[in-house]
Amino acid sequence: MIFVPRSDFWSGLAVASVGLLALLWMIPNYAGSNPFARMPPGLVPGIGAWLMVICGGVVAIKGLLQMMRDSLGLVSADLNWGALAWAAWPFAYVAVAIWFMSFIKITWFGAFLIAGMLILLGERRWYMILGCAVVPVALLYVLSVYLMRVGIV
Amino acid sequence: MDFAVIGTAAAEALTLASFIGIGGGVLLGYIVGVIPGLSRSVAISIAIPMTFYMSPYIAISFLIGLSKGTAAGSAVSAILLNAPGEASSAATALDGYPMAKQGKPKTALQVGLIASVMGDILATIILIFVAIPFARVALLFGPYEMAAILAFALVFIAGLSGGSIFKGLAAGGLGIILGTVGLDNQTGLPRLTFGYTELMDGMPLIAVAIGTLALSEMFIQSEKLRYERGTMSVAMKKDPNDRITWPIFKSILPTILRGTGVGTFVGALPGLGPSVGSFMSYGMTVKASKDPDSFGKGNPKGIAAAESADNAVIPAALIPLFGLGIPGNVSAALLIGAFAIHGITVGPLLLRDSPELLYSIFAGMILASVIMLALGWFGLQFFAQITRVPPHVVIPIVIFFCLAGMMLQGYGTFGLIILMGFALLGYLMKKFDYSFVTFLVAFIITPMLELNLRQSIILSRGNWAILLDRPIALFFIACTAVALIALIYRTFQTDKAAAGAPVSE
Repeated sequence: MIFVPRSDFWSGLAVASVGLLALLWMIPNYAGSNPFARMPPGLVPGIGAWLMVICGGVVAIKGLLQMMRDSLGLVSADLNWGALAWAAWPFAYVAVAIWFMSFIKITWFGAFLIAGMLILLGERRWYMILGCAVVPVALLYVLSVYLMRVGIV
Repeated sequence: MDFAVIGTAAAEALTLASFIGIGGGVLLGYIVGVIPGLSRSVAISIAIPMTFYMSPYIAISFLIGLSKGTAAGSAVSAILLNAPGEASSAATALDGYPMAKQGKPKTALQVGLIASVMGDILATIILIFVAIPFARVALLFGPYEMAAILAFALVFIAGLSGGSIFKGLAAGGLGIILGTVGLDNQTGLPRLTFGYTELMDGMPLIAVAIGTLALSEMFIQSEKLRYERGTMSVAMKKDPNDRITWPIFKSILPTILRGTGVGTFVGALPGLGPSVGSFMSYGMTVKASKDPDSFGKGNPKGIAAAESADNAVIPAALIPLFGLGIPGNVSAALLIGAFAIHGITVGPLLLRDSPELLYSIFAGMILASVIMLALGWFGLQFFAQITRVPPHVVIPIVIFFCLAGMMLQGYGTFGLIILMGFALLGYLMKKFDYSFVTFLVAFIITPMLELNLRQSIILSRGNWAILLDRPIALFFIACTAVALIALIYRTFQTDKAAAGAPVSE
């Protein structure tokens, strides 16, 4: 295990913040209430939220203490934007695909979804692109129409 | 034992539908296992929607067959590529790859296959003989005991499945919150649904499983393509001397038996998983050997030790699942979800309510092992070819099946958005080393934990002293406290040691 104090600090802080948000806003407003029950509906989600606050807090404090010992700053300036963009584009690609799928069924759109990503990932052989794009879609068609009988999805 | 039920179960396992379902599962698992980067949990999460049209027995046997197939298949890429399909096969690569490079790839693959199948069958037999008495005892447990056992399992998994207990428990906390989303079964009112009627039935399991396990893994794999591309597989040539012989089998047999024992023990404990089992078995074999220097250079005993333990973990992990309804790892947690989709409550009640289904699953597991042997033996050449499939071809296809699986569930665009959210969550959890295993297990067991906790509070009328009359519950509460203290201590000790290591961001 490699100790990574800066990412531990920020991730711990984020986890504790989500826990706090759950404790202060989500559970009081959306967990419901039952004054006659021995166990209120917010008890179990509350336990989960407390776990996040306490454990996230411990992770953040440990990270902060280690950063102080190592004389590290809270943020680092040497961000690799190329690596960040490479990590982000598949998320953007799938998000756009999901937006498309609110208009077109995945069975009609799936071949283009696969082919587009294959090309972006560097595949140039047309027969490979065609085969990889068509076969999974055909399998989905058989599964949804003939085996599950739910029609085209 | 009810022999009529066992007879019916055996008959069901030997039907054509059963052969096709289980054989299909093992074949698919083998193919997935061979492809580096596709893990067992990814395969199961994507395959769950495929089981919607199957009968419960075929569906569960298909998924268990898939699970077994991935474990055996991952050895192929470990041996031929030095790139294990699963982390648990990394120990196999230590001796498998050098052996393949020495011109004996087929021998290495056959040793791995035989060790896998033997470990798997023996552990399945142990499961059958242990899970049923275990479940009979568990039927006597009340809500106090079940709540205490579930809390203990959660803490244990949080501590052992990742690095830091704090990160594990934080992930478990999120799983608990998300596990309570939906209609509250006491008040009948929506809880944490934020007005979305789609969430009345709870957070969709398929979205949580596929998002955190499969889709997020594909994003991580595509990120890795920036740094590493292309694979060099060892070619299998036709060599009559390259095959397993009787002396080799005789020499690896004790290793297989030891590996099976280690794998069964590790698998039965919640949270440890196959990687721990295979490395522990490998380490024990090296220590027990008269020639420890030969390991890492192509010793068949190294392959046998790792593979037998890796495959023994899978049936053994079902001991707490069938005995208590507690998932010990991600695959078992996904199986609980698959059972729920087919309207079955897994755990000791399964033995009481549907013993024929339980015995059928056991029979199906034995059948899966036999099919695995046949497929592995005769399909070695075919599976060796699959190792040449580059990862950039696999990623888009898996992403397509992730999205298609969600659409098959019928949640539409809302489900896809939830899926994307969980993919992002899974990606961040993996990047920052938060245990997604604990998250998923907590998410799945929370309804059961809440029900038992609620029943305990109602029955005891809030009087904690009643626990003094429940020694088993008290024992597990004490175990939870001890485990928590020990795991916190271990985390601080590990962090102290790691603080001296070079800092990396």
